[in-house]
Amino acid sequence: MEQFRKILKFELKGYLTNKVFVGVTCFLVAVIFLVTFFPRVTNLLGGQDTDETPEEREVMLVSGGDESARAALAQAFPEYEVRLTESDVKAPVTKGEAACAVELHGLSDFTYYVDNLGMYDTNAQRVSEVLTGLYRLAALTEAGVAPERAEEIMASTVSFDIQSLGVDQGQNFFYTYIMIFALYMVILLYGQMVATNVATEKSSRAMELLVTSADPTAMMFGKVAASCLAGLLQLMCVFGSALLFYDLNRSYVEDGGILSLLFDMPPSLLAYMFLFFILGFFIYAFLYGAIGSTASKLEDINTSVMPITVVFLAGFFVVVFGMSSGSVDNPLMVACSFIPFTSPMAMFTRIAMSHPALWEIALSVAILLASCAGVGVLAAKIYRVGVLLYGVKPKLGEILRTLKKA
Amino acid sequence: MISAKSKGVIHLILALRDIHKSFGEKKVLTGVSFTAESGKAFGLLGRNGAGKTTSIRILMGVFPADSGDVLMDGKPLDHKKVGIGYLPEERGLYPKKKIIDQLVYFAQLKGMKTQDAVKACDRWLERLGMSEYRDKRLDTLSKGNQQKIQLVTALAHDPEIVILDEPFSGLDPINAMLLKDVVKEEIGRGKIVLFSSHQMSYIEEFCDAIAIINKGQVAITGELHAIKREYPRDRLAIRSPEAGRIAAAFPGRTEQAENGELILKLESPTEKMDVLRRLAERFDIDEARVFEPSLNDIFAQYAGD
Repeated sequence: MEQFRKILKFELKGYLTNKVFVGVTCFLVAVIFLVTFFPRVTNLLGGQDTDETPEEREVMLVSGGDESARAALAQAFPEYEVRLTESDVKAPVTKGEAACAVELHGLSDFTYYVDNLGMYDTNAQRVSEVLTGLYRLAALTEAGVAPERAEEIMASTVSFDIQSLGVDQGQNFFYTYIMIFALYMVILLYGQMVATNVATEKSSRAMELLVTSADPTAMMFGKVAASCLAGLLQLMCVFGSALLFYDLNRSYVEDGGILSLLFDMPPSLLAYMFLFFILGFFIYAFLYGAIGSTASKLEDINTSVMPITVVFLAGFFVVVFGMSSGSVDNPLMVACSFIPFTSPMAMFTRIAMSHPALWEIALSVAILLASCAGVGVLAAKIYRVGVLLYGVKPKLGEILRTLKKA
Repeated sequence: MISAKSKGVIHLILALRDIHKSFGEKKVLTGVSFTAESGKAFGLLGRNGAGKTTSIRILMGVFPADSGDVLMDGKPLDHKKVGIGYLPEERGLYPKKKIIDQLVYFAQLKGMKTQDAVKACDRWLERLGMSEYRDKRLDTLSKGNQQKIQLVTALAHDPEIVILDEPFSGLDPINAMLLKDVVKEEIGRGKIVLFSSHQMSYIEEFCDAIAIINKGQVAITGELHAIKREYPRDRLAIRSPEAGRIAAAFPGRTEQAENGELILKLESPTEKMDVLRRLAERFDIDEARVFEPSLNDIFAQYAGD
């Protein structure tokens, strides 16, 4: 226990004095500072100008329609200067004289021209809506309905209200996604760090002294706990500063925006996040540490850790696809939420976006906890055997045979 | 932990008894036994891959032996009570970390309290003339100096057993002398010092007892002078300006040694005094003595194929 404490302290100090670690953390905090203070800054600088229309509007050319169509489009696209033209519309668009063009072939048919079609360009749909309205209005009037009455019919809408009795997946999606992603990043990054750390000790032969000085189990748990603390500290710095900055700028952030969606998460979820983060981190870091100990050269690390990374990625994708499909309780997700290597992400997602029974959560955590301890002890054994094997990379069978005796 | 300072008079005996160890199918040790005493240096010799490092690791408890015992004064060695200092042949510490930080870390891992560890490490740095590098990173030091730093990790926690694997390799003559002094001090303080080296001259200089390990077995072990005396004392080593004439006077009985001495074979050990008298009467003799095999010769005989 004493050794564990010493190792933890030494390794943690190593992380905290590492320039890259400190630099990355500071950089992330700076980015969050910029993002959260951005609304306030734009508010201060451009507060008065917001309702003035910009002097230079982009041009939308309309050809082939009549004046009523042009007027309707001008009304529907206030951000464009809508011009009626009889000449060819393609050339000005290609030359950049106009941002886009609509060529009408009657009320029910048109072509939309644009130079590069943006991913979020919905102009064609909007034009279609406007024209559909016009077309229906014309049709109604033609069928003998009074124009006023026809407009009334067209303008009528149905009012509705949504009340989610469980969790609002739309709202939870964002912060669940952010948390899963944070979990993913931290486990991959720090797992690799643990593996590299062990392999460095091995290749620098500091291991010769370490294995004769310290108990391998203390060594393994100390290293992993230190990297977990470092990762947690980094996450806390990033999320803590994000929360703080957000709080300072709360009044400037528009309600219902991504930022507010993100930060208004229930505290119980944070607690679950914390729990699954630690357990998930440990189980993977142990594996990474064990793998690191079997590598003779630092260059071998990347290929050696591949199997773990693949398992981890598979879990990550199951969870992300489950999330985006909206069915977080599908059989695959349920299964994954009990398998120790995927449960940190899968169970957390189910808690955040659905309502798993309490026994399910308890069972998942219990399985994870037990596997963590098991994997930890196994990793320490592999570590003890692995660190003394130099030269040829040992085969899995060889390690297992040696393990039986160790 | 028994303090080496207070134990002074306590006589410790470390014994390996019939140690067997195999890794997978490969039998590395097949019955290694030797005994080392406190206050004396013990030389562990063997060719590369003979099983020295495996023996040392079993002794240090890195992994257990398949069978056999490691005994301290007749009882199984308790690593919690008996401190071991180790200078591995493959040197290496943390290249990017501050020297004092890692020295204290290793001393702490060996069970020292932080303050004691700092004091002990500082004392050793001063003893080895390395104080100025205390707060430097290890990789800024020369190889020899890094080795001296490594030596501190083996000695700072004042262990009862000190294991030095090739301690002199890479040291310049001045540093080698410093290390010799330090090792002699440690022997004088009643520690069990285990040497492993291929440099026979150092082993001959320091070690009272040796064990030669060959193919996982102890080929020979015991007090070095006793081993030497076991060889038939039927040869004389002669240093003389008239070596040629001596050789002519004893046809077929002489050979030239590499160091320039003339080796004269006696018909029997009892002939020694008679031959010496004859030599002294007839030739100009600088030195004549009974020829004893060097450790090199013994090593070549027992560690060869």
